[in-house]
Amino acid sequence: MNIDINALVTDMLSAIKGTVEGNWEKVESTANQFLQNRKESLQLLVQLRINGDIDQDEFDSRLADEKLIVEAELNALAVLSKAIAQNAANAAIAILEKAAKAAISAAI
Amino acid sequence: MNHIYWCNMMLKASIKVFKSNLYNQNIMNQQMKIRTRSFLSILMVACCIAAISSCKVNLLPSYNAAISEQIDNTAKTIDKFYLSMLETTNTENDGRSFKNFTDKYVEIEVELNSLLNKNKIRPLNKNSTRICEITLQFWVKYKEEHKVKNTLKDGLILLNRKTFNDLFYAMRVADEGIKLGNSLPQ
Repeated sequence: MNIDINALVTDMLSAIKGTVEGNWEKVESTANQFLQNRKESLQLLVQLRINGDIDQDEFDSRLADEKLIVEAELNALAVLSKAIAQNAANAAIAILEKAAKAAISAAI
Repeated sequence: MNHIYWCNMMLKASIKVFKSNLYNQNIMNQQMKIRTRSFLSILMVACCIAAISSCKVNLLPSYNAAISEQIDNTAKTIDKFYLSMLETTNTENDGRSFKNFTDKYVEIEVELNSLLNKNKIRPLNKNSTRICEITLQFWVKYKEEHKVKNTLKDGLILLNRKTFNDLFYAMRVADEGIKLGNSLPQ
C-alpha cells in the first residue's frame, strides 16, 4: 500500500492556500467597510455637536457607545475568520481522506 | 542384519518425511504472516479513514435561513421606525412624546430578544450572540433616553439610526460568515 507523502502534503497545502486566498479579500473589504462606518459615525457625531444639535453629555455618551459598536464589528470579523479557517482545515482533511481511500482500494 | 537395515531405512525415510512436513509448515506459516500483516494494514487504514471522517473541523454553528430573514426584517423595521420619526414628526406639541411610540418600541424589543435567544441556544455561536446582546443593549438604552426626556432631537435620531444600521451590518456579516463556513461539504 503506497501513499506518496510528499505529493499528499503538497496537495493539502494547495487546498488550504486556495481556500484562504479566495476568502481573504472578503475579510479585507469587510474590515475596510467597518472602518468607513466608524469614520462616518464619528464625523456625524462631531458635526452634530458643532451645530449644537446635541449637547456635551449626549456627545460623550454616544462617543462611549462607539467602543461597543467596534466590539460588535470585531465579533463579526471573528466569525468570518473562523469560517475561512474551518473551510481550509476541512479542505485539507478531504484531500487526506481521499488519498487514504485510494490507498486502501489499491491494497484490496 | 536385514532387520537392522530395514529399521535404518524406515528411520531415514521418517526423518525425511518429517523434515519435508516441517519445511512445508514453515512456508505456510510465512504465508499466513504476510496475509495477516496485509489484513492488519488494511484494517488500520480503514480505522484511520473512519477517524479522519469524524475529525472534521467545526468552529461555527449550522446556517439558519430563518434567522437570516429575521435579521433583515428587524433591520428594516428599525430603520423605518427612526426614518418615520424623523420625517413625519417633530419635537413641537409633544410630536415625539414617548407614548406615541411605545407599541413600536415593544414590538422591536420583542424581535431583538427573539434574535438573541435563537442565537444563544446555537452551539459555537458566541460571536453572533454577543452582537445581538450589544444591539439589544443599545435599543433598551436609547428607548430609556426617549422615555426619560419624553422627546427625541433630530440629531439623536440620526445617530440612533446610524448605530443600528452599523450593528445590523455587523450582524449580517457574521451571518454570511456562518453561511460561508457551511458552504463546503463537511
